[in-house]
Amino acid sequence: MGVGELNLMDDILRPNADTNPLAKRGVVVANVDSLINWARTGSLWPMTFGLACCAVEMMQASASRYDIDRFGWGVFRASPRQSDLLIVAGTLTNKMGPAFRKVYDQMADPKWVISMGSCANGGGYYHYSYAVTRGCDRVLPVDVYVPGCPPTAEALLYGILQLQKKIKRTNTIARA
Amino acid sequence: MMAKQKNPLASALADFFSSDRAQNIVVNHGQVSMDVSAEHWQDVARELRDEDRFSFEQMIDLCGMDYLSWGEAEWDTNSVSHSGFSRGVAGQGPGRFDWSKRPQEVFARKSHPARFAVVVQLLSVKHNFRLRIRCFAEDDQLPILPSLVEVWSSANWYEREVFDLFGVAFEGHPDLRRLLTDYGFVGHPFRKDFPLIGNVALSYDEDLQRVVYKPVEIEPRVLVPRVIRADARTQADFSANSGEGKK
Repeated sequence: MGVGELNLMDDILRPNADTNPLAKRGVVVANVDSLINWARTGSLWPMTFGLACCAVEMMQASASRYDIDRFGWGVFRASPRQSDLLIVAGTLTNKMGPAFRKVYDQMADPKWVISMGSCANGGGYYHYSYAVTRGCDRVLPVDVYVPGCPPTAEALLYGILQLQKKIKRTNTIARA
Repeated sequence: MMAKQKNPLASALADFFSSDRAQNIVVNHGQVSMDVSAEHWQDVARELRDEDRFSFEQMIDLCGMDYLSWGEAEWDTNSVSHSGFSRGVAGQGPGRFDWSKRPQEVFARKSHPARFAVVVQLLSVKHNFRLRIRCFAEDDQLPILPSLVEVWSSANWYEREVFDLFGVAFEGHPDLRRLLTDYGFVGHPFRKDFPLIGNVALSYDEDLQRVVYKPVEIEPRVLVPRVIRADARTQADFSANSGEGKK
């Protein structure tokens, strides 16, 4: 059972349900890593960290049209202790840098970071500014970069889907 | 001294203030502006507020000015060579130099009595007057001006901002701290000899486990868009309807 092809909950919890005699008898057999990853990808709670105009697109992604709560990602937390995902939505200034790193450090493992928009990716419009950090990856490790200025809500949604794929590749129990 | 005597506010100002206190009362596009000497900055402000014919109850804005390199363009688009207009990066000018190579007095045209000035926009609700006053700080190295917080309390954060960005100190300000830049920031970024890319850049240090400043590693470049003014298509004769208003 390859982890990569798993997309439906049914595949994870009841693999080969038609032919598997155990599944026919109501016994669930699953790879523990798949189960863990299924849980993790389906409940990514983002940290509320809107820094600039990208935050408006992030709000749009969480609003009714795109509704990232369908994927279980809509529970924006006001505390880093309760968040799994840090969406850096906007311009990271130098003055914000230490506070930003502190928020990341306070998040409980496992944690992921999405850099959203040009400013967070590499300074963007403010690349030559004395006051702006030239990319939030100078301060913390980033998992997914979403390009755009600002990225559309679909782009952010796609970014989180990419992150979901990345998380599905991780092995917690079976270490390679 | 007066450009136009028609403006009632301009005539009232010229009447009221002697020439050692206020100079250059100019009306431009209906906007009255006036230069005030530094030693009279505070009492002229107080009189503008309290005197019944002015009654400038509100200070709308206070900002700094740096006249170093005033009138110097980032691009030279007057002459065309075989390779086109200049690329702007070749020469020296504000915003395109290293901190060590920053201009001292090279770009100062001495078009103004001093390098630093503070400009204040005033509003009189009572008379529906607006006035712009400017005050030059005499010392270019250590610009100091009297604070206007006692006259208009709204000046408080504006003066902190000017202190932060231009390094103009305000005598008598109750709490002159930096307002916008990072804690421990060195320099005054709105000064024309401050490199736009700054001197330091932020990054995370794995060993120290914290965010640190390191010397900036990118190359400076001109970020002002090039505007070609002397183009054949813009050579039409505008002199017929130039000037301020056709009234």
